[in-house]
Amino acid sequence: MTTTDALMPPPGDAPPPAAAATPTAGGLPPSESVARQTWQAFRRNPLGLVSAGVLILLGLVALAAPLIADYPSGYGEDVLAGPGAGHWFGTDDLGRDVFAQVVWGTRVSIVVGLAASLLAIVIGVLVGVAAAYFRPADLVLGVIVDVSLSLPVLPLMILVAALAGPSVPTLVVVIAVFSWPEVARVVRSQGLAVVPMPYVSAAHVIGGSHLWIIRKHVLPGVAPVVAVSVVLTTSRAVLSEAGLSFLGLGDPNSWSWGTILHQAQRSGSLATAWWTTLFPSLAILLLVVATTLLAVAYNDARNPRTR
Amino acid sequence: MRTFRRAIAVAAGALSIGLAATACSPSNPDSQAGGGSGGAADRITIGTTADVLNYNPLVGNSRTDTWVTNLMYPRMMSMGMDGVRSPYLASKWEYLDGGRKAKFTLRDDFTWSDGEKVTADDVAFTIDAVAKEKIGVVAGLISSYQKSTVISPTEIEFQLSQPDGTFLENVGFWMPVVPEHVFSKVGSVQKFANDKDWVSAGPYKLTTVERGQRYVLERMENFPLVEGGPKTKEVVFRVFPDVNTEALALRNGDVDLIANALPPPLAKTLEGDSKLKLVKVPSLGWAHMQYNTARKPLDKLEVRQALAAAVDYEAIRRVALQGKAVSSNSSVLTPTLKQWQDPSAKEYAHDPAKAKSLLTGAGFKDGNGDGLFDGLSLRMIYDQADPNISKWAQLVRDSGKEAGIEIKLEGLERNTYVEKYTARDYDIYAGSWAIMENPPANLALAFKCKGFINYANACDPELDALIDQARGQLDQAGQKGPIQQAAKIITDKVYDNVLYVEEFTIAHSAEWSNFLVQPSELLSIVNPVSVAQATKG
Repeated sequence: MTTTDALMPPPGDAPPPAAAATPTAGGLPPSESVARQTWQAFRRNPLGLVSAGVLILLGLVALAAPLIADYPSGYGEDVLAGPGAGHWFGTDDLGRDVFAQVVWGTRVSIVVGLAASLLAIVIGVLVGVAAAYFRPADLVLGVIVDVSLSLPVLPLMILVAALAGPSVPTLVVVIAVFSWPEVARVVRSQGLAVVPMPYVSAAHVIGGSHLWIIRKHVLPGVAPVVAVSVVLTTSRAVLSEAGLSFLGLGDPNSWSWGTILHQAQRSGSLATAWWTTLFPSLAILLLVVATTLLAVAYNDARNPRTR
Repeated sequence: MRTFRRAIAVAAGALSIGLAATACSPSNPDSQAGGGSGGAADRITIGTTADVLNYNPLVGNSRTDTWVTNLMYPRMMSMGMDGVRSPYLASKWEYLDGGRKAKFTLRDDFTWSDGEKVTADDVAFTIDAVAKEKIGVVAGLISSYQKSTVISPTEIEFQLSQPDGTFLENVGFWMPVVPEHVFSKVGSVQKFANDKDWVSAGPYKLTTVERGQRYVLERMENFPLVEGGPKTKEVVFRVFPDVNTEALALRNGDVDLIANALPPPLAKTLEGDSKLKLVKVPSLGWAHMQYNTARKPLDKLEVRQALAAAVDYEAIRRVALQGKAVSSNSSVLTPTLKQWQDPSAKEYAHDPAKAKSLLTGAGFKDGNGDGLFDGLSLRMIYDQADPNISKWAQLVRDSGKEAGIEIKLEGLERNTYVEKYTARDYDIYAGSWAIMENPPANLALAFKCKGFINYANACDPELDALIDQARGQLDQAGQKGPIQQAAKIITDKVYDNVLYVEEFTIAHSAEWSNFLVQPSELLSIVNPVSVAQATKG
């Protein structure tokens, strides 16, 4: 069971969220009301609020990196200096400020995470909705998704990244290519609950085109799981980026948290200069835990049973 | 509440992964490293960062390949600290007939592990196989070889196509001798994996291989170069993919010696450890960048000179190498090879203003005012696993930017890197040579038109003529003049930008002593005589 599965209500446990999120004539409250109820439930959850705060903070750090620290380049005279007043997070084996690396690394790590996640979401939603809506295509797409999910992802990522050469676009594409199947599976299962709904059938009857029905009725129905998927896929993408960069397959022309770890490992200072690994690791931990908790909190707030 | 429980579950999951990772650490079958006392020991455990890729000594060329096969297969010559050859299997060597013939006289007390004597027939078979099948770098070094004549079991003579003053030293040091009675039965020698039933004549014989874990070699009692035979019964190479773990294993006493040179920051942290001894080993090669002269705009001398002026050499040695490197004065005749060095050589000056001026003179402009010359973006490839090059590549990129040159780093996985440099698919090649101890031979490979390792794609008739002139001389005194002129051309035309000569740091347990230090990381204290004569306690 994947993390995403764990966040989904079990079958029969609750009405399909799509029903609650989509304006229908079935006596359900209007969407504004659902959004307000979700927000009210969400803001009562301190872990969710703190997680959202952490993510907003990391986003601000990424945006304001040039205002916070100079871009780490060149070299410094204090090689492998411990944390102190001059260098809050210490220095690396070329005397560069680790704090500046973590700050600038936030930008690349989040950009790679978001870009890879969005790409994976686009592919996953297209495949998932197509499989749910066009039933004859379901078998073929289902097999493709299942095969993709059974592939050993990390070795393949390493192989492709090594062959394609290190760069940020390469990382984005490689991570997205191996992340979309999970999104597709979740979206498909949600789509299967939405497509048989009476209002979708009604849309068929009044002569709505497939594209219009998908855009107006199916996509809004799967939107809540997509929102959760975006958050979780982003955190997984950040982890993948850190992993690939740690293995030396990151972009040497930019800083990311994984790149900082890779340089610490390669220099042989991993065991002696703890600060070179602790702070980028904490940043990764913060982002991943915050995204996970945010997704959990959102899912709980959205689900009437767990509000 | 549910959310809180899930948070606890997430944390517990992360912790369990950590514990699982700890539990999955490789067990240590060699924890009783170096048992025994009073000099002779049962075992010496040597750490390495990679597996053996090829057990055929004529083909394998990785560091671990060399360390392991060097203990198994003899060469005709060994090497002193200054690169000068010393006897090993051969006791004497000479040129005859004005340099058209060369002769080795071998020792008569080397024996293969199956009891057969090592004879001149083995040498003749080996060199014929190398020449016929064009095996490895040795084939490129013996281009003048025509045929060999075995005069007696301990004497062999080579017929050369032209006088070649580099032949004996090349064959003597670079060509391991393999047993004819084994290798002649395998068909293609180049394709022979030699991965079992080893027959060898070095101080140790490989007996057990546990891939990814360890390689066990047993003592050959009758190895003649150490009185009484090798002191230690068993040599074990243990594989640690990560140098940090390897260093911890040395500190914990799980290994007695680390074969690979330590990255400078790690070496610095081990300096104060009383349980360890650090050995300084000079390099016989150099670290460098080569600019691909077959590509525009690097075919222009001014651009190459600008690139050379945009490098902060002092910072690379002082910061990236932590002072564990010396300048080579931008010459391919390095300070280690004192007998070849040109005292008039001067290092390129780090002068960003001069670099900008040269580029402006070459027609480059910064039209958009971004501080970088337009149309001057260069790709630099290097092996991302090399700790030193990965560091100084960043300094080269950053100092290049100060001079208005955009250098894009491509730190590549080893196989991709090899593929790219073999195809000369780069603007700038960053790398290092392990052993370049024989300038007349090495410069021919590295700088003559279409040379095997001519990574600058240089093709300069004047340079080629000087290298040929040197190779035609039979003694070092006659070779020195033309070689120094050739080296000056290489510097002046920036066919090679030599950054530094590294001083390697090799660490071993203070319980062990009596190692024999030889130059280069490939020989260091893991050379056959050193390992064979090392004692514990």
